[in-house]
Amino acid sequence: MKRSELTEFAVEEEGFKLKIRRGANGLPIVSTARGSNPPFVPAESNSTPPMPVPAPLQSTTSGAPPTTEEPGITYVKSPMVGTFYRSPSPESKPFVDLGSKIEDNSLVCIIEAMKIMNEIQAEAKGTIVEILVENGQPVEYGQRLFKLRQG
Amino acid sequence: MIQKILIANRGEIALRIVRACREMGIKTLAIYSEADVQSLHVQLADEAICVGGPKSVDSYLRADRIISAAEIADVDAIHPGYGFLSENAKFAEQCESCNIKFIGPKSKSIKLMGDKSVARETVRKAHVATVPGSDGPVEAEAEAVKIARSIGYPVIIKAVAGGGGRGMRIAHNDVSFAKEFHVARNEAEKAFGDGRVYLEKYIERPRHIEFQILADSHGKVIHLGERDCSVQRRHQKLIEEAPSPFLTPDLRKKMGKAAVRAAEAAEYENAGTIEFLVDPKGNFYFIEMNTRIQVEHPVTEEVTGIDLVKQQIHIANGEKLEFDQSDITFEKHAIECRINAEDPARNFAPSPGTVGLYYPPGGHGVRIDSHIYSGYTIPPYYDSMIGKLICFGSTRKEALERAYRALSEYLIRGIKTTIPLHKAIMADPLFIEGKATTAYMEEFLTRTTPELFS
Repeated sequence: MKRSELTEFAVEEEGFKLKIRRGANGLPIVSTARGSNPPFVPAESNSTPPMPVPAPLQSTTSGAPPTTEEPGITYVKSPMVGTFYRSPSPESKPFVDLGSKIEDNSLVCIIEAMKIMNEIQAEAKGTIVEILVENGQPVEYGQRLFKLRQG
Repeated sequence: MIQKILIANRGEIALRIVRACREMGIKTLAIYSEADVQSLHVQLADEAICVGGPKSVDSYLRADRIISAAEIADVDAIHPGYGFLSENAKFAEQCESCNIKFIGPKSKSIKLMGDKSVARETVRKAHVATVPGSDGPVEAEAEAVKIARSIGYPVIIKAVAGGGGRGMRIAHNDVSFAKEFHVARNEAEKAFGDGRVYLEKYIERPRHIEFQILADSHGKVIHLGERDCSVQRRHQKLIEEAPSPFLTPDLRKKMGKAAVRAAEAAEYENAGTIEFLVDPKGNFYFIEMNTRIQVEHPVTEEVTGIDLVKQQIHIANGEKLEFDQSDITFEKHAIECRINAEDPARNFAPSPGTVGLYYPPGGHGVRIDSHIYSGYTIPPYYDSMIGKLICFGSTRKEALERAYRALSEYLIRGIKTTIPLHKAIMADPLFIEGKATTAYMEEFLTRTTPELFS
């Protein structure tokens, strides 16, 4: 898959908004509106209405079989489906590396989805102790990307 | 040549599609939500990609993530199943523009038939009778009342963007009409984002009889007979059978031809269903077209011997239909009971939970389409249908007796199900006589004590 040349670019569909522009240092800046209004027709004809949620369900980690949570360890997880890249462009250095200290709004990687390069924020705090996916690897929603040690 | 299919659905239909693909040597990619990690079809598919959180709006309705998954996994086609995005014209269009084959009709057919008022107009031009009603959506209450009076009460107020039994209110006179008209519009706006409504005469005690359509991309459109789906609760089907105990061969021929004309008017391709209401005198009226494979498709499969899901894939491949209308015969009688995780003794309260002992029935003439298994936890985020029991026999009597026998053997412990309800219906003299109309279920429930269902 090729990287695209991005300038000012805006895409808006139901529930999925993207604005991309080149920043001062030539890097594309992408902001996505996630978790906004439901995208498409919610109607499910020919079926009974959804059942009420009885109690908070234990959320399972997606994809990989559920593993026991280690104390003091957290993960950066993929918020979308696409291809994972370590750096903003093939020639640049990776956003982060082993030992990098991460904050919630740290940019950690790119996930390319449908020809759009999305900059991904960590939404987690800690020091990277393991990088769990390879450059150019397809990733799914919820997939663990980076292992962080907290504190 | 389609070699890999993404299944954009879950539960029993996703499993159904995986099975058809495996038999055809086609690779499968299951997309799923975090709540469906343990789902059977996810385990059986060749590949699986998680597309979001448990709620449908965060996963199965996320067209962007589904198409993204299709691209990274390099699929040739997407099968949308039923519900979810299957009748979303925009999604079909996106697939078309991404060069991914949408296994279903063209997006323009979905759009045409998705507007229930436009659908009526379209089939009327093809000389298919529709329920007497308004010529399109009605705006003002004053105009609406006039039309209601000319149609004759009772009338039913339907959402243009509705369908599948949703977004409908009934009015019996001028006074109730005023109220129901406004309620209907508000509900439609809230549920579908489109508050437009149209009017139809409310036909009392009709039978709901639908015809299965198959159309290839070379212009051939045929029907595979009817299904009688009159046993419904709150407009949701519970039992479907083929052939209909009400239709004569003459009426079947007339309705079949009308169904084909309706599908041709929509320039239809792939599998679809034309729904009719039939009054006690045998007058039939088009109500809507479902532009997808339906829940009750196995009933037609057993009666005609044709695998509808495989036919969908063949058609999507650009192949010509191998058979003509004259080749379609109806050999047996088949009946399907939709098994829901609900407690019929407590007003159908939903019963999610973990399935303990699971023993499905078997033997001659018994088919189970279900994704559940011992130890499976039914997630509470989706509809409550956990499986379908389809029984067939050489006569209707045999099919019903077989269904009764199979339901008696069917063990699902740990959750409540509607199995006892179906058993009671199979033994009910009115149903056995083939007299059920859409008024049947409500009437049956009033004369049956809930204890019968426990």
